[in-house]
Amino acid sequence: MTATEPAGRWLQRLVQGQRRLLGLALVLALTSAVLFILQSWIIADLFGHWLQSASGAGQGAPGAGWWPILLLCLLLRPLLQFFRERLCQQASWRARNALRQLLLQRLAALGPARRALGPDAQLGSQLLEQVDALDGYISRYQVQRQLVLWVPLLLLLATAWHSLLAAALLLVTAPLVPLFMVLLGHTAAAASQRQFAALGRMSGRFLDLLRGLRTLRHLQALPAAQSAVEQAAEDYRSRTMGVLRLAFLSTAVLELFASIAIAMLALYLGMGLLGLLPWSPGEAPVSYQSALFILLLAPEFYAPLRQLGSDYHARAEARAAVEGMLPILQLEDDGEAAHRRHVSAQPGVGNPMPDGSAGAVSIHCHHLSVSDVGIPARLPPLSLQLKPGDRLLVQGPSGSGKSTLIHALLGFLPYQGELLINGQPLHSLDRSAWNARVSYLAQQPELLPGSVADNLRLAAPQATDVRLIHVLQEVGLWELLRRLPLQLNTPLGERGLGLSGGQLSRLALARLLLRDTPVWLLDEPLAHLDSDTARGIGELLERLSRGRTLLLVSHEDTGLEWLERRIRLEVGHD
Amino acid sequence: MTEGQLRLRLSRLLHSRAAGWLLALLLGALALFSAIALLALSGWFITAAALAGMATGYMLDVFRPAAIIRLLALTRTLGRYGERLASHQAALGLLRDLRSAVFRRISHARQLPRRSNEAMHRLVADIDLLDQFPLRVLLPWIWASLMALLLLGFLALLDSRLLLAAAPGVCLAWVLPWLGYWRGGRLARADVEWAEARRSFLLDSLRLLTPLLIWQRWPGRAAAFTAQDQQYLAQQDRQQRLISRLTLLQQWALAASLLMVLWQGSLLIEDGLTVPLLLAAALALLGLNEALLPVAGSFVALGLSQAARDRLQALGRADQPTPEHDRPVPQAPFTLHLQQLSLRWPGALSGPSDLDLQLYSGQTLLVIGPSGGGKSTLLHWLAGEPIQRQGRALLNGHPPDHWDLAGVIGWLPQDVDIFDMPLADNLRLGNPAASDAQLWRVLEDVALADWARERGLDTPLGEQGSAVSGGQARRIALARLLLAERPILLLDEPFAGLDAATREQVMQALLRRQRDGLLIIASHQPVSAPDLQVVRVGG
Repeated sequence: MTATEPAGRWLQRLVQGQRRLLGLALVLALTSAVLFILQSWIIADLFGHWLQSASGAGQGAPGAGWWPILLLCLLLRPLLQFFRERLCQQASWRARNALRQLLLQRLAALGPARRALGPDAQLGSQLLEQVDALDGYISRYQVQRQLVLWVPLLLLLATAWHSLLAAALLLVTAPLVPLFMVLLGHTAAAASQRQFAALGRMSGRFLDLLRGLRTLRHLQALPAAQSAVEQAAEDYRSRTMGVLRLAFLSTAVLELFASIAIAMLALYLGMGLLGLLPWSPGEAPVSYQSALFILLLAPEFYAPLRQLGSDYHARAEARAAVEGMLPILQLEDDGEAAHRRHVSAQPGVGNPMPDGSAGAVSIHCHHLSVSDVGIPARLPPLSLQLKPGDRLLVQGPSGSGKSTLIHALLGFLPYQGELLINGQPLHSLDRSAWNARVSYLAQQPELLPGSVADNLRLAAPQATDVRLIHVLQEVGLWELLRRLPLQLNTPLGERGLGLSGGQLSRLALARLLLRDTPVWLLDEPLAHLDSDTARGIGELLERLSRGRTLLLVSHEDTGLEWLERRIRLEVGHD
Repeated sequence: MTEGQLRLRLSRLLHSRAAGWLLALLLGALALFSAIALLALSGWFITAAALAGMATGYMLDVFRPAAIIRLLALTRTLGRYGERLASHQAALGLLRDLRSAVFRRISHARQLPRRSNEAMHRLVADIDLLDQFPLRVLLPWIWASLMALLLLGFLALLDSRLLLAAAPGVCLAWVLPWLGYWRGGRLARADVEWAEARRSFLLDSLRLLTPLLIWQRWPGRAAAFTAQDQQYLAQQDRQQRLISRLTLLQQWALAASLLMVLWQGSLLIEDGLTVPLLLAAALALLGLNEALLPVAGSFVALGLSQAARDRLQALGRADQPTPEHDRPVPQAPFTLHLQQLSLRWPGALSGPSDLDLQLYSGQTLLVIGPSGGGKSTLLHWLAGEPIQRQGRALLNGHPPDHWDLAGVIGWLPQDVDIFDMPLADNLRLGNPAASDAQLWRVLEDVALADWARERGLDTPLGEQGSAVSGGQARRIALARLLLAERPILLLDEPFAGLDAATREQVMQALLRRQRDGLLIIASHQPVSAPDLQVVRVGG
């Protein structure tokens, strides 16, 4: 039943990989159950003997051989449980790590288009907390689900050997338990999912507000932010409480069954021993030894069911977590068919890059457009032709699709129409081979916390200090860095704190210069530079981009006067 | 607020909801006691029944034990249910209050968090860890100790020799978890650090996903993340192993205790100890497992709580709330005099120097100069950032720190913050009371009205304004600032990415709005205004 749903399928697929570890854990748990039956019988037998001798019927001391076996049982059972826990932990550990790798791979295939799946903070919590939320499902639920069948069955057989009526009593109450659990489990899954959504929302809201604290404070908008935080926190609290309330209720119901059944069993056995049962007056249907044995077994009969009751919520939690991940997990399955004109993300899948002479690249677009891709990006149909070494300036107002054009050329967006690279359709090419030919500069240069050198080497890991200094000189940053005590190792904070906007753009340009690629796709590279520097960098761009295929998107043309070929995009109306 | 009030104390966490915690404590104790007593009484009952059945003429009161057994079955269940509800209600309420309080502290601290990812992780995950202290440390320990004492008392009542036989094992099972105190604490502290490092690494990676993919550095970055994830999981595994080991030892100690009681009991039967009571003692000892085993993990939980508490503490450490002097608010008309003014960021080697100017209400100041020359530094300083100053600066005849400028200065920095809210909500951060008409007016002024009419005021702007272009984001931020109606405006590159016609339109609106105030613009684009002063910064 569950196998037909995508979430259930994914969960099964995850557990499948850890079948051996979990199977071994099950064997250990079952062995422990057998030892428990033995241990209970020994205790019942000891007390039986003692009762006999106390009441004068005396058969002497119980067999001395029981004591070492009892000791063995008492020592072995905790040990088996210990190893079972270790195995299950191992399985959970491996499965979560593997799932996380898979999710990250899927996100990477989307590139900038991942925004459509939610903000990064939310994706992050899906990859971290939600994957970790599978722990209970793998490390506890999987084995428990089997135990809940086998352990009661074993105990039931042992009980039935001594008293059919007691066994029947256990049997009657047992099926009610899973029935109730399933009912509650369904609502619990939905509640868990809402809780996860609330957690994601809360994380996103906090990150968003924390990032903009300076602005909020300046606008004196902290009260508004505070109430947004309180609202998100309260939302999360009430949803968590909702989930827990259900979890506690179902556990309570299971415990109630177990407690009442044990009480009834004790009363039945006691009355029987007193000979007060109406159907067999004056006669004990079950001997004391057997009665005690049954009483000892009874709590353990319900224990796996009770445990499953709390672990059932681990399952609900896991389902909710996986359901939240489905948009990412299912990308490949549906995505591949729907967006055939998408560059494959897998290395080695597409055709190799057809090389022009001396590595040059030509780009040919015919009625190229982007629309209806489920994300806010569109480009009205466009035709253009870039021969190797052609340099083109694309202008147009905000929202006319300038950045979308660049994303499509990079291979991250599915497109309509024709887009040929050296005569080959882009979507048939291997993405990593294409990326190796392209340099890209975004509107906002993205930096990692780390030094200037670290950030430069992101683009070119093998670059020597000399090379770094060289490119820094070319963008006019070295003069400044040279005078700082740490020079190349000067640390940069979040968003490049410590550098002015212009200096950030220069650093990004330096990073671009480090990569020697035949195609440059630049998105507003000069927007934050003053006119003098823009001219300087423009001249540099002109010199360095000779012989490369250059497509540059910009509002201004200060510093770009040398770009003779220009096209203008207009805002599309519909 | 004093330093003491800012302190987070784990024990103090319980004060705010004392009644709830007390209720949870009592109900939990009742539930555990009922569970153990149910088992012991049932055992006693059938043994006594067997004895009575054998010995003719011996009468057993059946109804009282039977009623108590049924009662215990109910109190066990209801007690547990009530305890869980009460304790989690208290814990979750506590977490919500903490989130609100910690955010207030972060947002009012002088030093803003350097890395917002970390601050977010603390607000979400670290605070979630604080409920471990009451739920997994304090309450379980009280219950475990109480049940162990009750059991030992029961054994003492039966026979002191039975007590002596059981006590070593029970005490050992009680003491064993303390072995985990140091290691558990250390592992837990490392845990929070690993978790935070893993999250920061992932979020940084996602932020840089596109460029890293193009530079073909993504596989390396992804592999580094996987390695970090494995390290974190291995770290968690070490905690689990510690708990499992302690549990194993506890179980062995209790097993030894059970064997001792059975062996000693078998000898005492001849001395007058009844078999039913011996069985009750043995079953109670078996039931004690349920009370004692949960404390095996308590010190890992305590360590997690403590580490989370310390990190939250550190987040507000730089917190010296800004002194709330009653400084006067400057009124129009404004005058700004700068004489021989030089500014330096702490530790910076250069900055704007020897600035001289006089600016009056209604005038516009254009700050020009090369990138890195100090245009932004001047605006940062005017906006009140901690920048070292030399020379004279007077606003309306007094030094700037004489005035309360919080509601007077409006500052558009180079990197603007757009929040993941609808357009209208983003704008209303500038003025929560602004009407829709006011919003439209200000959108008109920044030349975004046409765009907004297409999308509507409720259009979401995305995380960090990802749903709008960079130029639109700047103008939305400008519109938000204009809504705040600050008489002194400091605008850093307000026209970046605008064409000449739009630039002119926005400039006219700015001039109209700042007729009685000051307008200071740092820009590399030409600006025309009737009463314009130009100052060149940095050569």
